[in-house]
Formats: sequence, structure tokens, C-alpha cells
Amino acid sequence: MSNRTLGLMMGAVALLIVAVAVVFVLVLSGGDGDDGGDTPARPASDSADRDDAADDRDAASDERDEPDDGDRTTGGICGENRLVTFGDDPATVFDPIQVGDASTAEYTAEIFGGLVTLNLDLEVVPDIAERWEITDGGRVYTFFLRNDVVFHNGRRVTAEDVKYSLERAADPANFSPTVLDYLGDIVGVRDKFNGRADDISGVQVVDEYTLRIELTEPISYFLQQLTYTVAYVVDREQIEDDPNNWTRRPNGTGPFRVKTFRPLEEIVLIPNDRYHLGPPRVDEVVFSLSGGSLSTRFQNDEIHVALVPAVELAGVLSGESELSEFYRPVPQLSFFYLGFNVNEPPFDDPLVRQAFAHAINREAINEVLFFDAALVADGILPPTLPGYSEAISTYPYDPERAAELLAQSRYADDMPRIVLTFSGGGGDPPDNLQAYQQQWREALGVEVEIEAIEWSAYLRELRRGTFQMYSAGWIADYPDPENFLGKLFSGSSRLNHTGYASERVDALLDEAATLGDQEARYRLYHEAEQIIIDDAPIIPTFWTISHYLVRECVQNWVDPGTIVPKYRYIEIDTSGE
Amino acid sequence: MSQGLAGYVIRRLLWTVPVIVAISILVFLLLRLAPQDPIDSLLGQRYDEEIAQRLRAKYGYDRPLHIQYLKYVQNLFQGDLGVSTKHGDFSVAEVIIPKIRVSAGMGIMAIILVFGLGIPVGVYAALVRGSFLDPLIIGFWLLIDSIPVFVSAVVAPWLFALQLGWVDLTYEGVLHPNIILPVFVMSLPGVAGVARLMRASVIQVSNEEYVRTARAKGLRERTVVVSHVVRNALLPMITAIGLSLPGLFAGSLFVELLFGIPGIARESLQAVLGFDFDVVLGLVLFGSVLFVLANILIDIAYGFIDPRIRITAARGG
Repeated sequence: MSNRTLGLMMGAVALLIVAVAVVFVLVLSGGDGDDGGDTPARPASDSADRDDAADDRDAASDERDEPDDGDRTTGGICGENRLVTFGDDPATVFDPIQVGDASTAEYTAEIFGGLVTLNLDLEVVPDIAERWEITDGGRVYTFFLRNDVVFHNGRRVTAEDVKYSLERAADPANFSPTVLDYLGDIVGVRDKFNGRADDISGVQVVDEYTLRIELTEPISYFLQQLTYTVAYVVDREQIEDDPNNWTRRPNGTGPFRVKTFRPLEEIVLIPNDRYHLGPPRVDEVVFSLSGGSLSTRFQNDEIHVALVPAVELAGVLSGESELSEFYRPVPQLSFFYLGFNVNEPPFDDPLVRQAFAHAINREAINEVLFFDAALVADGILPPTLPGYSEAISTYPYDPERAAELLAQSRYADDMPRIVLTFSGGGGDPPDNLQAYQQQWREALGVEVEIEAIEWSAYLRELRRGTFQMYSAGWIADYPDPENFLGKLFSGSSRLNHTGYASERVDALLDEAATLGDQEARYRLYHEAEQIIIDDAPIIPTFWTISHYLVRECVQNWVDPGTIVPKYRYIEIDTSGE
Repeated sequence: MSQGLAGYVIRRLLWTVPVIVAISILVFLLLRLAPQDPIDSLLGQRYDEEIAQRLRAKYGYDRPLHIQYLKYVQNLFQGDLGVSTKHGDFSVAEVIIPKIRVSAGMGIMAIILVFGLGIPVGVYAALVRGSFLDPLIIGFWLLIDSIPVFVSAVVAPWLFALQLGWVDLTYEGVLHPNIILPVFVMSLPGVAGVARLMRASVIQVSNEEYVRTARAKGLRERTVVVSHVVRNALLPMITAIGLSLPGLFAGSLFVELLFGIPGIARESLQAVLGFDFDVVLGLVLFGSVLFVLANILIDIAYGFIDPRIRITAARGG
């Protein structure tokens, strides 16, 4: 037996060695093919396994292979009419009513569309609705639909489809986490959501291309809310045919269709050539979900868009890095802040909160820790938000004043233990939190403990209001001041986690919510914003800037700072200029 | 004799059942008792108690723990590993099988590379022992071995892609040439171990009497080395290969993260961070089964090589 076994083993080892040789040869020959530098980054023949459905790209890229035979600089990633960018793994399926996170919303906004949408300047513009009339003092919206809007499969979109989509969003069986936030002001949505009605009484089909929506309050930001994914139009036939898997290849009305989606790998979108607002100009948009060393891939000409890695930021900003020429800073519609529980000692005394605000030197932190690449938040509403005002100001760095305020406070001699909580893992707290800690110690003689807590637990405790002081951020869902001030500071908002309640602010917010005159509305928000800052339930710290790297051949690339369908505008300059 | 072996194998296989059950209960409890909640993660800031309760009911998280576990086991026997909450209702199998394929593909290439390089290097080092070449060669591979993967996974792309332009970095599938660099990065540190093992084995075999006999009967040195020394010295390699099999599916976290490869290690990290109950359970169960099976295979292989083990096991087991 031992001889036979030995023979078997020898055979196995021999096989292994042969396999090594074969793989080596394959690997080396494959590598040589890549060395030439004249092949496109992704030869069409290599992606045989991924092209199960659409082969048009292969055909198209074969044609384009010809002019690519030059040197690498004119070929490479800029040699093909497709955008390769990065993205986050979607947190939910591509069902507009389930989307709650920015990354999924970004894809969903390209695949679907609603009655209205946002343009790149964040203005509400027609999408499926061609125009609309607002009557009854702002309570009734009548939408006149375009008659040339089709789903990806060619079926025409009518008012019934819109009604179905809105009712589906409010259907309690679908537990949409966003429907009440965005559509809760439509008459009947809450009844439907709570199972008290079969349809939404406030949504009526007038005729095939006319839809009437009635609101409980004449809120002025209703159209902004309608641009969010939860109001997008979905295809009833597809959903009823395949209720469980339709989101794999959703039949939307947006500028792009899903070609492939592989979790943690990539999402590939291809154009909807019949898109009513003008079809996309690229043949494909590839979102690489793989993470990895994006900036190295960018440098190696394999991806059009990447973020500047933290270690490179200083060099890129100073212009010394070779990546500087691709650098695009983009202000985001978001801000970071430190929140206080205004009902718990010591932050139930406004003087303590104001002292804490005066004691931190955000300019120094920006300079030292962020390479001056963030914006010190001199207000709550970010500068690119419609309705932003320069007149708002926050507490300047003033350690003496801070110490004075603290001395006047109730807790001057009897400061309780203070814990600042942030969402994060092990290791040291973020540098900026440590810097605040140091500055409070120096200016106020107060020792603040910093505590990390896991994200979902953080959110839970935030809701319960158990934090004394916390580090948080807010990203706009729709570009309107209401989305910041109303959601975070209204006494009745469930997202108000500080416990802050000001009658004056609530009155201003209520009045602004239903005011038709936009400028007058913004003025009310400015007044409310300044009162909030003066009362200091939060300390706004920084407005965010995203640091992008964008290849020069990508035309019309913008990041409006919030969820806006934007990839259909992009063109790739394949001329090699 | 073969019946004894079959009985042994069957006994070992049966023993795996309680092991897997114990692991699954332990992991199940650990996940459910942790202070985290997948529904919390899913809803984020938009958390609404009513919606959360509906979702908990949908995924069955509102039922008592033992019922949840039994339900899980029941589904398991129907081949249903559950659904991923994080990947939007993709089934667990749908989520993890492609990742396993990727990691296993890379793992196979890595094993081939490690042993394909390590064995000849070890043989050569043994043949030139006593000269300066021996420590030089082994030292070189030890040097490679001592570079952490998280360093080489950063330096290698910089060198081979940016400076030399030999490779591209975008992951395009396991069979695309772009996979070469990550495979090399994850394999090369393993070569030293195999080479040293092979070297020791060759030296040991060289001192055997049958080698002396082979030389004495006037065989050419080449024949002696290839047919007598190396053939026999390869035996311990079987064990080494066997031992490396479970690791084959484990993936390499740093390589997968830094090269953006959608493999099992990255998926595991994401599942744990995103608190994706069923995916974590599925991954752990898969890993456990694999580990247990690999151990059985190794034991059986030992049994072939060394009958004493087989006899003891059959008597005692």
C-alpha cells in the first residue's frame, strides 16, 4: 500500500508543479500583454463574464480601440467614453422608498425620477411634470405631466403611475423610513401609513397627465421635498411581477439603467437613450465600490475621480504634489457640530454652553489639523445652501470671555463630570476632539472626558437623549434652510436631540415654513439661526469640503454637495488634448 | 484495514456535527447579545420606533432567542442561510459565494506560488549548504517574509504600477492579469517557510542510507537527487499543503482592502462592522466547516503516512 500511496502523493506533487509552471506561463504572458501600454485599461475581451446582458459597449469599444494605439497619455482611462468613478456600497436595495443614506440615494437618483428634480444649481426644475400650478394659498399643487416620459422598458408614464408610487411609499407594509419626513405633509399620507386608509386622499388623478396634490399645510419647501428619492416614480407592473427581486434591475424613468451591481465590487450604469431631459453623453458610468488605494489607481490612470488621501492633502493643497493639477475642492451641504443636552447639568445653563463655545479655537485646529482645508463654520447653514447668509456669526475664540462666562454660571464652583461622546471605534479619539478637550482645559480649567461608542448604539442613545455632550454632523436631504434649522432645532422635530426648545425659534420656523415669498422666508430663517447660535444648544464647528481629484478629460463634472442627478451631463474628452 | 479507516473517518465526521452546532450557538448568542442592533444600523438617524418594530418582525428579531436560533437552523437545513440586511435583502449565499470564489481563486494561486517557489528554493539551498549561497538564499526569503503585508501592499503598487508601469491596479476579476500583483504580495512572505522546511527535509533525506546506497551503486548525482532525495523529501510537504488549505479560503484582509478585491476577508469585516447578523453567521459557519474538514483530511493523510496514528485513533476514538 505504501508504494501506491507514495505514488499517488508523488503524482499530486507532480501535478502541482506542472500547475505552477502553467500558471507562471499564463501569468507572465498575460503580464506582457499589459506591458505594451497600448491596450485600453479594460480590454473588452477580458470582461466576457460580465457582459451577460448588454454587448453594445463591447462593440462600441472595439470601434474605439483604433485611435487608442498611441502612447499611454492619450489612451488609458481617457481613451474611452466611459466614466470610472468611486462609490460606497449601497446600504439598501435600489428601491426609492427604502433609501435613507447618501450613497444609495446617489445611484437611485440616476435610475429613477420624480415629478420634479434639482438642477446642478440646486434649483427645483421640471422632470416628469412639465409645469405646475400652486393654488389655495399654497395648499394645492397641480402637476401637468409631460406626455413623452417613458420607463426604461418603453412604457409611458401617466398620472396613475405617480399616484401608485406615492401610495406605495406610504403603504405600511413597505415600512419606508423616509416617507413621513418627506411626504408627511400630503393630506392622507399619515392615515395611509398608519393603516387607517387604503389610498392617499390628497393625491388625485385629474386626467391621464394631470395630478393634484393637496397639503395639510402650505409648506414652502414641498417641491424640494418632492425631489427626494421617496417621491420617485416606480413601475407597478415590474414590482407586481417580481416583488422580491425587481430592485436588481429597476425599471425607472431616470437617465441611467442598471447594467450590473455587485456588492463591494462595482455598479455599472448605462444610459437610458430615451431620457426625456436629454440622454447621458457617456456610454457607461462605473462606480468602483472596492475602496482600496483609489488615489494610486488615479495616479496610474485607471480611474477618473478619486478623493485626495489624507497624507497627500498638504502636498496637493500647496501645489507641490503632482496631483495638484487635478485637485477640486467641493464645499458640501453639511456641517459638523458639538451638541449639548440642554436639560442636564452643566449644560442646562446657557452660560456654560457659551463659555465652551468661546473657548475653542477652530481656526487653529483648521490650520494645524486640517491643513486649512475645512471651513470654520461661522453659522449653521453652509455657504452653498440657497438661503445662506453671511451676516450670521458664531462665537469667536476668546478664552478670557469664556472664563468670565463660566465664572458667572451656576456651575462655576461645582462643575459635574462632563463626557463628550462620539461615534467611533477603539484607539485615540479624533484629533479635533482632543484639541477641543485641551482648549477647554486651558481656557476653562474643565476636564472633559471623551468617550467612543459604536454607531448604532450612538444613534440609539442620541434618540434617547442620554448624552451630555456629543459630536455630530448633518448632511442636507434637500437644499432648504428648513432641512437644517427645522429638523435639528424645532421643539417638535424628532431629530432635535439637544432638547432645545425656544418659543421664538419655533414661531419663526413655523412662519417660514409656509411663507411664499422666498426672500422674506430666508430672512426669518436667518433670524432663527442667529437666535439658535446665541442660545448655543450646539457649537457649529466646521463646514465640510470634499477634496476630489478629477482627470482633465472629464467635462462637466460637478458635485453640487447633495443628491442631484448629475452624471448625464458628463462628457469624456477622448481626443487626448 | 480499510474498514478501520472508514470507521475512523465516519466517526470523525460525526464528531464535527456537535462542534459545528456549538460554534453556531456561540456565534449566534454573541451576535444577538451584543449591544448593537442591525435595525439601528439600517435606519440610522431616521430611526422610527414603529418602522423599526416592523422591520424586526420582518427579520424575526422580535422573537425569543431560542426560537430565532431554531428558525435559523430549520432554514439552514433547507439550504437557506438567511438574508443580508446590509446588502439590501440579497440572500447570504448570494453575498458570500462570489466572495469565496474570489478568495479561493487567489488562495489557489498563492499556494501554487508559495510551494512552486519554496520547494525548488529549499532544494537548492540544501544542495549548496556549506557555501555562502545557502544562507544568502534563505536569508533573502526571510527578508521578504519579514516585510509586513500592509507595507508591501502599499509599496508594491507604487513600485510596479506607478514607477515601472508593469501592472494596473483595478480589480477586474480573478482571471485578469491585474490579479498578479496582489497574489504575489500575499504569497511571497510564505516562501521562506516552505523553503526552510524543504531544505531541512532534503538534508535529512540526504543522510538516509538508501541515498548512500544509490550513490554507492553508481547512479549519477542528478538521478540520486531527483529520484531519491527530492522525491522522499517532498513527503512532509503534503502535510504543509494540507495545513495551508483552510487558509486558502480565508483571504488576506490587507491585500483585499488595499487592492480593493471583493474577497471573503473584506466581506467579513464589512459584515461585522455593519452588523449583518446572517452574513456573519454564514461566514463563521463556512469557516468552521472548512477548518474541521481540513483537519480531518490532514489526520487521514497522517494516517496514511504513519500507521501508528491510525491505529491509536481507531482504538481510542
